Amino acid sequence: MSGSKVFLQQVLALLAKDLKTEWRTREIFTSMFVFSVLVIVVFNFAIGADTELIRQVASGVIWIALSFASVLGLQRTGQMESEEDSLQGVLLALHDSSALFIAKMLAQVVYLLIVGLCILPLCGIWFHIDFIACIGYIGIVFVLGILGLSIVGTLFAMITLHTRAREVMLPMLFLPVSVPLTIASVYATAQLIAGMTLRDIVDYISLIGVFDIVFFTLALLVFDHIVEE
Amino acid sequence: MRTLSMLLISMISFPLVFIRNNSIYQAIVMYVVMLFATLLVFIYAPNEQMQGIVQKIFYFHVSSSVTAFSAFFLVFVASIMYLWKNAEWWDAVALSAAEIGVVFCTLVLITGPIWARPIWGTWWSWDPTLTLTLVLWLIYVAYLMLRLDAHDPKRSRFAAVLGIVGYVDIPLILWSVEKWRTLHPKPVLIQEGGTTGLPFTMLFTFAVCLVAFMLLFFYLLRERISIIQSQHTIEVLRHQVDNLPTG
Repeated sequence: MSGSKVFLQQVLALLAKDLKTEWRTREIFTSMFVFSVLVIVVFNFAIGADTELIRQVASGVIWIALSFASVLGLQRTGQMESEEDSLQGVLLALHDSSALFIAKMLAQVVYLLIVGLCILPLCGIWFHIDFIACIGYIGIVFVLGILGLSIVGTLFAMITLHTRAREVMLPMLFLPVSVPLTIASVYATAQLIAGMTLRDIVDYISLIGVFDIVFFTLALLVFDHIVEE
Repeated sequence: MRTLSMLLISMISFPLVFIRNNSIYQAIVMYVVMLFATLLVFIYAPNEQMQGIVQKIFYFHVSSSVTAFSAFFLVFVASIMYLWKNAEWWDAVALSAAEIGVVFCTLVLITGPIWARPIWGTWWSWDPTLTLTLVLWLIYVAYLMLRLDAHDPKRSRFAAVLGIVGYVDIPLILWSVEKWRTLHPKPVLIQEGGTTGLPFTMLFTFAVCLVAFMLLFFYLLRERISIIQSQHTIEVLRHQVDNLPTG
């Protein structure tokens, strides 16, 4: 009982440390947000002025923006930890290294959720989509999808921390492995935008849920092997 | 169903890796079987009525894809074993299987479009099986890049993690892409009720082809593993020579 309490305390302490640093600099959020806005604007130019077409591809654009922003955020987080070997210090202080994984992943979830909340209204205005009508269901898809992106992303960010070409390796590993998640999230969001209900997208939701559970379990199992010296 | 049968075959053929006979005999047997398979494909097996000579690429295409899936399964098993036992040999197996798997996966991605162009009228379609193969190819190319890039001591462990994650991803990728439209021919090898859609001549030719590809795979695997082990030995020797007292 006390062991799990210590574990929880360590997770919360690490998460608070990351969020506090981020609150003071706002470095990661700014780069993620501006980058995702850029992605959306560039896609808007690529698609053209056809309003109907834009409505159809909007969910894809949103999720591409989120996963690219996620790569950017993970790189910044990784950079912060590798500077002055602070990762080693954190690991020495920990009872169980998976606390680090969970804290890093939750921090990433928080950043992505805030970015998602900021770009949704922008997309609503630019692409003429009424998100408010289905915000509850879209919220479920967003939370589950972002959780999956963060789990896989954090796992690979900890791996690529030790590679030379970090900026190249992270997207190379992260994007293909998260393909099922991207497909399911994009289509679930698209169907919600098209006016369907939760019952129509239950397949996609369960796919995202299974992805989250499988990779969370797997990440906890292998995380020790990644960080141990 | 198609992928399931592939996984099944890959699991059955897996113990072959433990057969350690003399490699020259293995090479001779492999050569004879490959020659026999080629003869069967071009002389014995009849031309398919609808597709004509184009259909013959099926023997190489499906055999390559079974081989690629077996290789990726082997990467998965070897990665788990490496993380568990921490033995260099398993790491060598994983790396060799991944390299060969990428080669065969590339062959699948080349032979597929060559067949699809005359039959479907298009080089490529985003059908589930094609998409799965392409995504797998990307994952295992990233695996090889990770092995080249990461700093030495932890590289094997990172690669092992990716080897496990990549294989676990397969059913999820398949699940997600299957929600798309399906254009890929349904497996003719095994149909509902356990009957096969292929005439005996074609089935026999395919079976021989599959055996030939498997022999080739395990031969390459053996050779690659022994190269890695030799490299390791040379490194150890070089280290010893460097540390010799001079004069």
